[in-house]
Formats: sequence, C-alpha cells, structure tokens
Amino acid sequence: EELRLSHQWSTSDIRHQVAQMVADGVAAADVDLDIKIFGSSSLFKAREQYRPLSRGLLDMTVLPLSYAGGQQPAFNLTLMPGLVRNHDHAARLSASPFMKELEARMADDDVMVLVHGYLAGGFVGADGCITSPDDVEGLQIRAAGKAFEQMLAGAGASITSMSSSEIYSAMQTGILNAANTSSSSFVSYRIYEQAACYTPAGDVALWFMYQPLLMNKSTFEGLNEDQQDALLAAAAEAQAFYLEEAKLEDAASEQVFRDAGVEIARMSPEDFEAWRALAQETSYKAFVEDLPDGQALLDMALAVE
Amino acid sequence: MATKNSAGVAQTGGNPFLHAVAAISTLAGWCSAAMIVAAVAITCQMIFIRFVLNGSTIWQTEAVIYLAIASTLIGLAYVQRLRGHVNVDLVPLLLPARGRYILCVITLTLSIVMVGVLLFHGYEYWHLTFERNWKSDTVWGVRLWIPYLALPVGFALLMLQLIADLVAVVLKIDKPFGLEDL
Amino acid sequence: MDPLLLGAFVAISTILVLFSGVSVAIGLVIVSAGFLLIFDGARSLELLPEILFGKLDNFALLAIPMFIIMGSSIASTRAGADLYEALERWLTRVPGGLVISNLGACALFAAMSGSSPATCAAIGKMGIPEMRKRGYPDGVAAGSIAAGGTLGILIPPSVTMIVYGIATETSIGRLFLAGVMPGLLLVALFMAWSLYSTWKSGDKQLLNVGSYSWKEKFEILPRVLPFLAIIVGVLYAMYGGIATPSETAAVGALLCLLIAMVIYKLWNPKDLWVVLRDSTKESVMILFIIAAAGVFSYMLSSLFITQAIAEWIGTLDVNRWILMCFVMLFLLVAGFFLPPVAVILMAAPILLPIITAAGFDPIWFAVVLTINMEIGLISPPVGLNLYVINGIAPDISLKTILKGSMPFVACMVIAIVLLCFFPSIATWLPDVVMGAAI
Ligand code: NA
Ligand code: NA
Repeated sequence: EELRLSHQWSTSDIRHQVAQMVADGVAAADVDLDIKIFGSSSLFKAREQYRPLSRGLLDMTVLPLSYAGGQQPAFNLTLMPGLVRNHDHAARLSASPFMKELEARMADDDVMVLVHGYLAGGFVGADGCITSPDDVEGLQIRAAGKAFEQMLAGAGASITSMSSSEIYSAMQTGILNAANTSSSSFVSYRIYEQAACYTPAGDVALWFMYQPLLMNKSTFEGLNEDQQDALLAAAAEAQAFYLEEAKLEDAASEQVFRDAGVEIARMSPEDFEAWRALAQETSYKAFVEDLPDGQALLDMALAVE
Repeated sequence: MATKNSAGVAQTGGNPFLHAVAAISTLAGWCSAAMIVAAVAITCQMIFIRFVLNGSTIWQTEAVIYLAIASTLIGLAYVQRLRGHVNVDLVPLLLPARGRYILCVITLTLSIVMVGVLLFHGYEYWHLTFERNWKSDTVWGVRLWIPYLALPVGFALLMLQLIADLVAVVLKIDKPFGLEDL
Repeated sequence: MDPLLLGAFVAISTILVLFSGVSVAIGLVIVSAGFLLIFDGARSLELLPEILFGKLDNFALLAIPMFIIMGSSIASTRAGADLYEALERWLTRVPGGLVISNLGACALFAAMSGSSPATCAAIGKMGIPEMRKRGYPDGVAAGSIAAGGTLGILIPPSVTMIVYGIATETSIGRLFLAGVMPGLLLVALFMAWSLYSTWKSGDKQLLNVGSYSWKEKFEILPRVLPFLAIIVGVLYAMYGGIATPSETAAVGALLCLLIAMVIYKLWNPKDLWVVLRDSTKESVMILFIIAAAGVFSYMLSSLFITQAIAEWIGTLDVNRWILMCFVMLFLLVAGFFLPPVAVILMAAPILLPIITAAGFDPIWFAVVLTINMEIGLISPPVGLNLYVINGIAPDISLKTILKGSMPFVACMVIAIVLLCFFPSIATWLPDVVMGAAI
C-alpha cells in the first residue's frame, strides 16, 4: 500500500527530514506500507494542501496549520504573537488540552496530527535592529502571518505583502525596511546579505509557527493495526527529532548572520511583554472577534505554563 | 500554414442562437478587459500608498490577483470566439474536407465534455467555499466564494461558446477549424 | 506500470491530442484528465478546477497582461512608426539601412513590451509595407520583422522570463537583466546579417535611398521622446526601489495607456477597445495555457513521471554539454509545436533539477532557453509571430516568410553557441547590478 505525502520544502529542510524519518521508519517496520514524498511543492502548492488532505485526495502533508486559518479560524492561534515563549514551552503546548481542542477541530475536517512541532523565527532590519514595538514605527515591513501583520500595524509599521522569495530584492531596492519570517527562510533566501541587524529567536521569541505532519484520518483508520502502529512509532521518533532540530536551527541561523557580519540583537523579556501587550490590543482582539468561542480557546492556550 | 484561422472570428450567419452566444461572449470579454484595467489601477494605487505615503497595503495584492484570475476565466469564452486560443492545425490542414469536418466535430465535442467536467467540479468547489463561508487567511480575509465564482461562470461561458462553435460547424455556418476550403 | 514507460505513453498521447487541432490549453487538460482518470481514479478530477485556479493564484503572473497592454497600447499609435522613421532617417546611408532601422526599432520596442507578437505587430505594420515599397524582397521584409519581433521576450520586460522565474523560483529582476546583453548580441547579429546580405545582393537601389537633411533628422527626435520616457520610467521603477518587477508592469501599462491617450490622441472608445481586445486576447490565451500546463505538470508529478525522468537522466553518465545539447534539441522540437510559456512550464520542473545538478546556472539557462523559444516563434506549425506577419501582409506566403527568417534563425543558433562559450554575456549584467548570484 502506498501513501502520498506532499510538502513545500526542499530536501535539506528539517520539515522534509521529519517526513523522511516517518517514511523510513514505516519502511523499516516492513508492514506493506510505502510513503512517497512529493517535496518542493511538486504536487500541490503550499496553501493548496489542506483541502485535498481533508477530502482524502492527499494522504499526508507537513504544513503550517495557519494556512488553513481561513477555513477554521481557530487555527489562527497556531501563528499568534507571544503565545509561545520558547521551544520547550511549544512542546508543552503541543501536549496540552489546548492542542486537544485544535485536534478535535481538525478531526471535523477528517484530519489528524502525526507529528507535532513548532518552528521559530525572528526579525531583520535593513537599517537598524528590531527588538521593541518602538523600533518598527514608520517602517515598511513584510510579516509572516496575519496576526503579526495586525500587531505590527498596531505598532505603527506599514504592512506590505509579498512572498518570502521577494524579500531579498525588496530589501535590496529599499521597498522593504524590515521583515519577519522563520529562521530557515532567512537563511535559504540569503537575507543576511541585505540585513543590517538580525533578532533571532532566543530565550524568548515572538514568532512561533505550528507546522505539524498531518494525515487524513479516514485513511489512517483504514490501515491495519500493524501499519498504524508502525506509523505512530515512527512519528513519535520524528517528533523528538523535530524538537531538537528546531532548537538547533535558530542557533544555526544566528551563526550564519553573524558570519556575514550582521549585527545580532536580543529581545529582552521586557520587550516580549511590550509586544504581547500590543498583541492583546490588536491580533488577539481581532481573533476573538472573528470566532465565537475564540476567547475560551485563547485562554486555554495562555493557561499553558 | 497555421496562419489562416488567427484572423478569423466565429461566424454567426444570422442564426439567433449563435448570435446570442456571440453577444454573451463579447460581454464577457468586456468584463474581462475591465477587470485587468481595474487591476492596473489598483496596483498603481498600491505603489502610490506605499512609496509616496509610506502607508500599509493590506488588500491590494490579493484583490489584484483575484481580478487577474477572474479576468482570465471570464475572458475564456470571448477569446474562443476570437479564435485566440492557439492550436496546432497541421493535421487538419493535411486532411480532405470530409476528414477535417469529422475531426473538428470530434475535437469540439471532446473540448465541450472536458470543459463540462471542469464546470461541474468548479461549481461543486465554489459551492463548498460558499456553504462553509471560507475566507482567505489574510488580514483582509475576503470571502472566497466571491473570487471562486469565476470558476463556474468562466467555464459555463466557455462551454456555451464551444457549443455554439460546434453548432456553427454542423450547420455549415462556420468552416471546420476556421480554415478556408482546399 | 513503470513511470518511464508511462511517461512515453503520456508523450505520445499529448502529441496525438495536440495535433488533432484542439486548442493547446484544453488539449493539455484533456490529456491530463485522461491519465489521472485511468491511474488515479475519477475522484482526482475533483481537483482540476482547484489546480487551474491555484496556478493562476500568483501575483507575479499579473505582470503578463500588463506587459502585454504596454505593448499593444503603444502598438496601436504611430509611436512604432515614429521610432522606425527616426532610425531610418539617421541610418539612411548604411547599406540595408531600412532593414537595420526595422531591427533597431524592434529591439527598442522590445524594451517596452513583454510579448513578441506585440513587438512584431508594432513595428511590422509600418515597416513591412515600407520595405516592400522600397524594393526589398518580400522574404527579407517579412523575415526581418518576424525575427526582430522575437526579441520581445528576450529584451526585458519579458513574459516568458516571468513564467520561468515563477516556475523555478529565480529572481525575475535578475532574469530581466540577464536578457539585456544577449538581446543586444542578437540585434547585432541580425544587423550584421542584413548588412552582409544587402551588400552581397549588390542592389544599388537598396544601398542608398534618398537622403535626409540634418533638419529632418533632428525634427523627428522629439517624437521618440515619449517612447524613451516610458522605457526610462519603467526601468527606474523596477531597479530604483519603487516597485517589484511584477508591480512595475502596472506602472508601465498605465504610463503607456496614458501616453497613447494624451500624446497620440487615442481617445476614441472604439480605438481604446481595440487595444484592450488585443491584449485580452493574447493574455487570456497565455494565462489559460499557464493554468493548463499546471494541470499537466500535476498529472506528471502525481504519476511519478517527472521524478522518474529526472532520476533516469541522473543515472545517465554523460558529459554535461552533451546533456545540454539534448536538452536544447528537445526544447527546440517542443518549441516548434507549442507556445513558449507552455514549453517552459511543462519542461522546467523536469529539466531544472537536472540542469542545476550538471552545474549550469539557472539564469544563464533561462536566456538560452528563451532564445531557443524565439526560434519556435517563427517556425511552423505554431509560430505566433507568423500569425502576426500574416495578419499584416496576407499576400506574402508562409514559405517566403520562412525563407526570409531562416538566416535569422541561424543567427539565434550562433547566439546560443556564443552563450555556451561565454556564459558571462548573460550573467555579467545581473551580477554587476544585483550582486553575485544566489
Ligand atoms: Na521585452
Ligand atoms: Na513554432
């Protein structure tokens, strides 16, 4: 039997490695199950994966769950500023009642989680460092995720939307003054050549994005017990790997920027609280207005220590 | 060789059905062109807001993309009427009149069936976005049934024009593949 | 079934379906749907509209209709004629000056239009009748415009470069710059050939036709100004930090429409509609092919054909230049039958990993690929520029046009060979302007 897994990442990306680990683990278990990986958006475009997945036309995917936020507004909480402080906190969130609630909503779409995982990101400035809300006022900034756009707009920045592949030339020609995205994107798009200052994810970070390995639930339930066990075992192993690698990735990106001669800035706990206070007035508020039980969900997430 | 059909336009020959379809397709063509002009205007407005006023541009990129997609889909029928969709007519040119006629009927029928399939699934998909009130995952959060409406509408118009083309060929009002007689 | 064997079946079916005379876009969807139906089941057809829509859901694609509007709005004014006349007045003493003026006008016009047919139409409307009137053979008149028009997709802006940039995730700004020097090289080769052939024909009449006074020469220069203003304006917007390349297209389209209306008095709604109709016709055709090629590549990927071919070529242990030769031949043949965007979109996902693995620069490859596609534009059975020439001068037979454009095809082949030996012709300018390649 063959399962098809689609994702948007290159083969060197950590998210591909997670998928590969699960595929290898299942193959090694020898349970007549083969996972075929379609990487680099070779089958579906990044944002077009969730719907085929939920209809059983795609078996598995690794994707930022917030891509499906337009279909399930609750998923917008998986890319919300200040909700996650660091990777260990992210791991606790993944195991919390909050995540159980999100998984219940995924189940409504016939989707289940095999591997939980968060990746972090930071800010780059073309001219100066970005650590506190005051730093972004009047800047043209490209942010990853609508909640971040709302928060940054609240801090007086001007929002412009473009794909992450355009950040490089936009910063080069001066269309953009700053950008916010994941650590790995900063490195793969060589943003360090255009940045004056980098604020990586450290002890505290603002930008965390939930990017699980998902599977169609009916497809999973249609497998025999051995196959299900093999999948779950491989997934558990991949999840531990994912967490460790996610931590290393932030440090690695910092090193790349440092080697390129870019100034490295740190976000202090006070900065973090200032951003979070701002987010409460902007993105959290917009989220709660958008979803009837939004406040309850948000409280569940904030309750995770 | 492959040059003769490019200048042509679908013939209506005074047939009321063909005439009506031609009018509908032309109207669709106007809408298509208008949407592109709107996209040009909005993009320029976006550059102005960002570059001159240093302001936020939240909705423009998305609006412009959806306008361009809608312009393409809605414009399909009109471009079909203008014989603007490129084809390889090497084989039709080599065929005798009878063979050319049969091949033309087959390809048009096949095209109609194909566009029919796209129309059916396009409608289903549009209906899903409407029923579940899906939105785009941006700050603007546009209700997706609005841009996706272009799928069923565009394919329906294209199918109508293709049917008209088939009718015109069968009734000998238009030449198969728009090619002159041998 | 073995994916490679399946790939062969897909190739044969595609050829059969496209040769039936069905439109290229619908034909690609029919082939894709057929194979998906057989090997992935009927439910996979549910995805087709989504994939079509998704392929168009890209901001960079928007530049295509806009760069086409730029060309067609100026093409419907006398700007092309002015430009061509200005060049002619200045080049009158050069042997074959008229052909050279036309080629120069095509090159300049190409710097403003993203599409080849528009370039061809803009200059050809005036240039072809004029050349024939002055006694140039039909073949030379039609062939030089057909070939000169192909520069539209090499000299920036370029519709095909945009499509390549999207398909391969390479910077569109960089691709545009990469086309400049090879474009000039081609113009030089085209002109050199025209000079030589006119000189060799020994037709005195063609060598020196009348002469213009300095007054006449300077009189016409202001009429070229709006044209230069557009080119400078667009370049400034693109590389001066005002807009991304895709956004710049809108500035260019607006600028051209305004200049056409204000300076060339293109006020009549009927005339304006002709501009919009022509650009709608071309851009909808191209965008539908892009969407359909997306469905086709989904089918190839879903049936694992793309991956299998890439793996298979990877296992072939051949010299990289022999590999490049085969790639170019394959593209050339595909270009005979399919419009450039369709070739690029269908081939790029398969070829690019192979090309980069063999150590070729994707930016350089884009340029070589584009010149290759230019050959397809003036070759039967699907040569978009041939349609245009036929529209302008219906009494010139296809055979004559083809014969006239053959030497220019040879120039393109020489340009490709030169680019193989000196890749920096393509990569130098983008490296200087935008820093070393990523
Ligand atoms: Na051009
Ligand atoms: Na051709």
